[in-house]
Amino acid sequence: MADSLRQRFLDICRFRRSGDLCLLAPWLNDFWMETPGVWVSQGAPAELADPRTLRDYFRFEHIRVLREIQTGLYMDKRLEVLGQTYVYAIPPIIPTYEIRMLGEDEHTLSLVNEGGQTVRIDKRDPQKMPMYLGHPVKDRATWQEYKKRFDPASPERFPADWEGYATRMNAKEEPLLLNVGSFFGFLREWMGLEPLLFALHDDPVLIEDMMDTLCEMEMACITKALGKVRVDGAMFWEDMAFKTGPLISPKMFRRFMMPRYRRITDLLRSKGVDVIFVDSDGNLTHLIPLWIESGINFFWPLECAAGNDAVALRKQYGRDAILGGNIDKRVLMKSRDAIREEVMAKIPYLLETSGYFPSVDHFVPPDVPFENFVYFINTMREVAGLPPIGSSKA
Amino acid sequence: MTWDASAISDAVQNGDDQLVVKLVKEALRQGTPATIILDSGLVPGIQRLGELFQDGEVFLPEVLISCRAMDRGVDEVKPFLSAAEVHKKGRVIIGTVEGDLHDIGKNIVRLMLECGGFEVIDLGVDVPVTSFVDAVKTHSPDILAMSALLTITMTNMPEVLAALEKAGLRDRVRVMIGGAPITREYADQIGAEGFAPDCASAVVEAERLVKA
Repeated sequence: MADSLRQRFLDICRFRRSGDLCLLAPWLNDFWMETPGVWVSQGAPAELADPRTLRDYFRFEHIRVLREIQTGLYMDKRLEVLGQTYVYAIPPIIPTYEIRMLGEDEHTLSLVNEGGQTVRIDKRDPQKMPMYLGHPVKDRATWQEYKKRFDPASPERFPADWEGYATRMNAKEEPLLLNVGSFFGFLREWMGLEPLLFALHDDPVLIEDMMDTLCEMEMACITKALGKVRVDGAMFWEDMAFKTGPLISPKMFRRFMMPRYRRITDLLRSKGVDVIFVDSDGNLTHLIPLWIESGINFFWPLECAAGNDAVALRKQYGRDAILGGNIDKRVLMKSRDAIREEVMAKIPYLLETSGYFPSVDHFVPPDVPFENFVYFINTMREVAGLPPIGSSKA
Repeated sequence: MTWDASAISDAVQNGDDQLVVKLVKEALRQGTPATIILDSGLVPGIQRLGELFQDGEVFLPEVLISCRAMDRGVDEVKPFLSAAEVHKKGRVIIGTVEGDLHDIGKNIVRLMLECGGFEVIDLGVDVPVTSFVDAVKTHSPDILAMSALLTITMTNMPEVLAALEKAGLRDRVRVMIGGAPITREYADQIGAEGFAPDCASAVVEAERLVKA
């Protein structure tokens, strides 16, 4: 009998499964919202406009993030604007803020969203990232108000039918991932980047209180979740680097983040969860060793434009680092030769050494032509000894 | 106590704004010319910090607090300087191109340029082509700096260049570009004179462009 996807996932994470092309989705392999529509206009089958059909077409394997447990980014906040949808993510606050319209002009709409952020949305394209005008936490006083929204015992934090939900999840054969929060990323979401960076220097007591609040909430929720649900991996979200390096110093990381990460990763490992993932854009050179020391061992998306190189990371960190992504999205806009060169420079080695899940270095943008993406997938399938998609053998 | 340029420089590097203000006031009280305090104390401090940032020895929070300390010091000497003496390196218009609302990189470059002695006019994010052109027309900058984080928005950069050309402004301003997907090859391809691979290099590149 073939191994379940869950077993494949865990075997790859534990470096016990060489050569297995495991394209996980919607986590890791996903598309910009506009991409499927653009591809259909380029001649892709009309049914591929549905992202789920698109994932099946490319033989992506389904991995489930337990989003019903409110410990990570709420990814599904939506607001209808003139028939289009503004989709956004917010930290796991309960209750969320009531949406409040502030004003509008010919092209924009200003409002306070459910995360308490004041944003300006482009009415012509609400799907576009909004302009941030203000954040809910400005100082100790506003934090005391915001802090009340991180009660781990809020009934809405877990599905109402918790026992039934746990039973249903445990019956699934796909890998299950639990969000375990964020220390830098959430603080930036509720303060804004520059105020956060100043506060790290000016008011470390405030920063520590915010991180402790998050840590306590996550610890309580992890304990409850793992008491009922078998979880295969845990996920942090940070986005704490830019093109050339981290947004904070290693010294600040060690002071503020590492002790709290350690408490969470120790708890996870004590309960058998040893695949601990972090999502961060930007150059991760300084951060990866710090995360490893913090007990985190899975890194994605490893953006090429920011200088990340999965082959070099594998050689440097060996089995201390499970890797995902690192296929240069910019190359997928070029020729077939360029795509083949990118695939052959990375995929054979990374699949052979195991501990690697292929994907583009973040979601696939609409300027990657459909034909190129098909060629990219098929080149990887060729490396793995699989028939091309669309063939009778696939 | 006689005034000490290196003490001011160190205080800027350490981000100690209160000490910077105290030292600058003392230097002014002693009759030290404001231009000397700026050129021998404040500017070397922030330049050294820029070098440390480029070398990965210090990080963004340290840059921010040093820029704040520098600003406080400049506020003290400003009443004794002309505008040309404060921003003597030149004027830069900066913005993120239309369709792109990512501003972290652009904001860091703005800070670094300001601390490096440039006057910076920040047009913000999602800046339409016409706004870049209007700003060049209005402010006559030495440099127009554009940022893009997305492959689908970087293509607006050549449109700005074409619009400058059409408006007869192209030879009056040097253009530099940057952002995650931007490369030197791309800058050459679209005809931008300047390119900075990272925030710290942006100051060096801007200095090169104004001297060119």
